[in-house]
Amino acid sequence: MTPEERESLAAALGSAHRERSPSGEIRWHRAFFDLPEEDREAAFDDAAALRVIEAGMDEEGLSSTARAVLARLP
Amino acid sequence: MQQDLDDLLPRIASGDPTAFARWLAGAERPVRLSLRGLARWVDVEAVLQETLLRVWQVAPRLEPDGRPNGLLRFAIRAAHNLAISEIRRRKTPGVDPAVLERAIEEASVAASPPPHDPLLRAATMDCLEALPPKARTVIMVRISSGGAADDADLARGLSMRTNTFLQSFTRARNALRTCLENKGIDVGARP
Repeated sequence: MTPEERESLAAALGSAHRERSPSGEIRWHRAFFDLPEEDREAAFDDAAALRVIEAGMDEEGLSSTARAVLARLP
Repeated sequence: MQQDLDDLLPRIASGDPTAFARWLAGAERPVRLSLRGLARWVDVEAVLQETLLRVWQVAPRLEPDGRPNGLLRFAIRAAHNLAISEIRRRKTPGVDPAVLERAIEEASVAASPPPHDPLLRAATMDCLEALPPKARTVIMVRISSGGAADDADLARGLSMRTNTFLQSFTRARNALRTCLENKGIDVGARP
């Protein structure tokens, strides 16, 4: 796997988009399984930093994670 | 002075999504960061979103214990329980039991929301404006989707290949982060 491929997988894992199973369970991102285990903590750090940036851009201080959760409230 | 997000609990318990949004604005980060030690073995984003949805469901039945941020403390415990349950259910190889034990202990540590940074929004918008137009577009498209669309769909909307979109996004995010750090704003993962 090239460094660029690992970087793309980490970026994909940092998305707040998650599929749902037919029963409503939030599915893990396929990039999680493809990304080498040793890269996952760095991907976590990038995602956490991104959420701060997102919240900073949002008038209500909400990240894309918060937006995704609010969109799924029953 | 420590912020107590439980001030919002009565409104959340009565089903007010605006109050829950305000709670999320303060609670998401400490819950996320509490899962860092498990990030090698679980998709933290999926666990986090599932946990936050459970918080919404459980809030009407939560009994305050007299200490601040009871709902946040519940969320951290619930997130860890869910993460550990997933690790065990999936029979994840190579997990150090000592790390799991430590994660359980860390989940019981009192948490508090980060202080509000009044400069963050202005600084972020300044840094966004400083990006090249294409990089700004990629960042804005991803963020404004609010997790509703996957990257392949977002890339198609910009007539880009998914990999090109992700590479552009990474470069733009890193430039934003550097710009913010140059303004003295640390967006790092550590609390």
